[in-house]
Amino acid sequence: MATISAAAKEIIEKRGLKEKDVIGVVDGCGDDKIYNKESKLFIAKKEIGELTVYAVFNEAGEVQTAYSHKMKILDIVLEGETDSGWVYCKNNQPLKNGHTNLTYMGATRSGPSLTEPVSGESWFEEYLSVGALTAAEGLFQQKRA
Amino acid sequence: MGYEELFPTNDLKGWHANAAKRFASPFVDNFHDRIDVDPIILSNAAVHCGFTIRDFYEKPELGIHTVGYISELFDLLPVTHWFFSLPWLRDLGVTLEYKDTLPPVSTGPIISEAEEVDKLEPISKEKLKGGNTDTLFHNLYGYVQKNLPHTLVPISYGFDLAGAGAEMCGVENFIMWTFTEPDIAHKLQNVYVETSINGADLLSDTYGMAMLIVGSVLANNDIFSDEMVEEFSAKVMHHYVDQCFRKGAGPQVFYHLCGNHETDYKVFKKNLVWSPFNVLHIGYMGQKEFPTSVLKEEFQDVTTIMGSVDTKLMIQANPKKVYERAKESLIQGRDAKKGYILGTSCETPPYTIPGQLLALTRAARDFGTYGTW
Repeated sequence: MATISAAAKEIIEKRGLKEKDVIGVVDGCGDDKIYNKESKLFIAKKEIGELTVYAVFNEAGEVQTAYSHKMKILDIVLEGETDSGWVYCKNNQPLKNGHTNLTYMGATRSGPSLTEPVSGESWFEEYLSVGALTAAEGLFQQKRA
Repeated sequence: MGYEELFPTNDLKGWHANAAKRFASPFVDNFHDRIDVDPIILSNAAVHCGFTIRDFYEKPELGIHTVGYISELFDLLPVTHWFFSLPWLRDLGVTLEYKDTLPPVSTGPIISEAEEVDKLEPISKEKLKGGNTDTLFHNLYGYVQKNLPHTLVPISYGFDLAGAGAEMCGVENFIMWTFTEPDIAHKLQNVYVETSINGADLLSDTYGMAMLIVGSVLANNDIFSDEMVEEFSAKVMHHYVDQCFRKGAGPQVFYHLCGNHETDYKVFKKNLVWSPFNVLHIGYMGQKEFPTSVLKEEFQDVTTIMGSVDTKLMIQANPKKVYERAKESLIQGRDAKKGYILGTSCETPPYTIPGQLLALTRAARDFGTYGTW
């Protein structure tokens, strides 16, 4: 079973996530995760209710950080040309720096993502989820109200 | 007497409430009223209010108040902006002077030899704090927060990432180095770009997020090939926005490709960072307005697009011509997948004729009212 580092516990609490959800993302992901050889970290994600919850964990299964976004991931809109340094563990394909459509409150917009065109899967990195995507969700809530 | 005492308050419950709802339309698909019109009004707002171009730039708080005030007259955007094309350069040592008929201009380059580039370093966030540009924007947005809070959108400008580099060494040197000593040109550009990123970081500390405005002005097809535009502009713009996002700025981005982007427009789609809230504006294809149909076809799956009516028409005594060009752009762009705004091909000229602005909004009402096409 996955564990959570002390620093990650603080982050999880601050971001309003549940530890059991984050543990569940890691324990349930199997090969459905991405790996970065340089940082030796994995990222796995899972839709839980209205959130997509991400866990970033090391090779020992210890969660280093976790984050989420409310915007729902749709299709890849630009596959991207540059290698991101990440590999999809399910099929060993390299991930590109591309763009993916997201939908929220009835509108579909795109954002910069890690894309794996063969499977059609996309991931959003932490800096983007807690920054631009969170701000965008706030603007959607405000403007769609 | 403060500048705020010179202006009546906007009609907040009527005009502004409606304009604010309309402004959100292209970004969140909550369609209201009609297509929005943004002629990038700057010193023209000051002129309409009886002030001068110099007043607009020399007194930023007055300038931004004229934008907020006059937008109501032409039913334009409910938000304010004030800018010129050389932010952060004074922090790097460039001296600017105010002119009667122009935005502030540089008094001259700070280096002239390639060897001098090595002496330049980006200015850190700590050193930018309290400096020329930081003070200017904090005073400006502080004024807006206090006096025009309904219009506040803090903006961090990188603006023209190639052009600003050129200001430090002289345009001729910069263009020459891009061909003969590209590493030097890149290093010079990098000094400005990293300084601007630190500036965006600084502003986002205060405002939580800051809209980014970044463009490709000097880097266009009148001067550079597509490959050079990609190298010295599109890829650099990517770096700027990516780094600003990582430091907390965004998610709104206004991409302004000024001048002639006849073929180089093709290098931007794959290189730029497309956020959930961005607008792409391209001024010209050759000597004509950039066709809205091409803008839509190429970019509608990643961004809100902004169509152009030639700024030359905004000072010709023929409002019907503006109306017809606006109609053409509206019909081509109004159903773009991620939204469309009607604009002019750059900042509307300082002496824009009021009748031309009315022609834009009239066209938007006639051909851009949601639910009528």
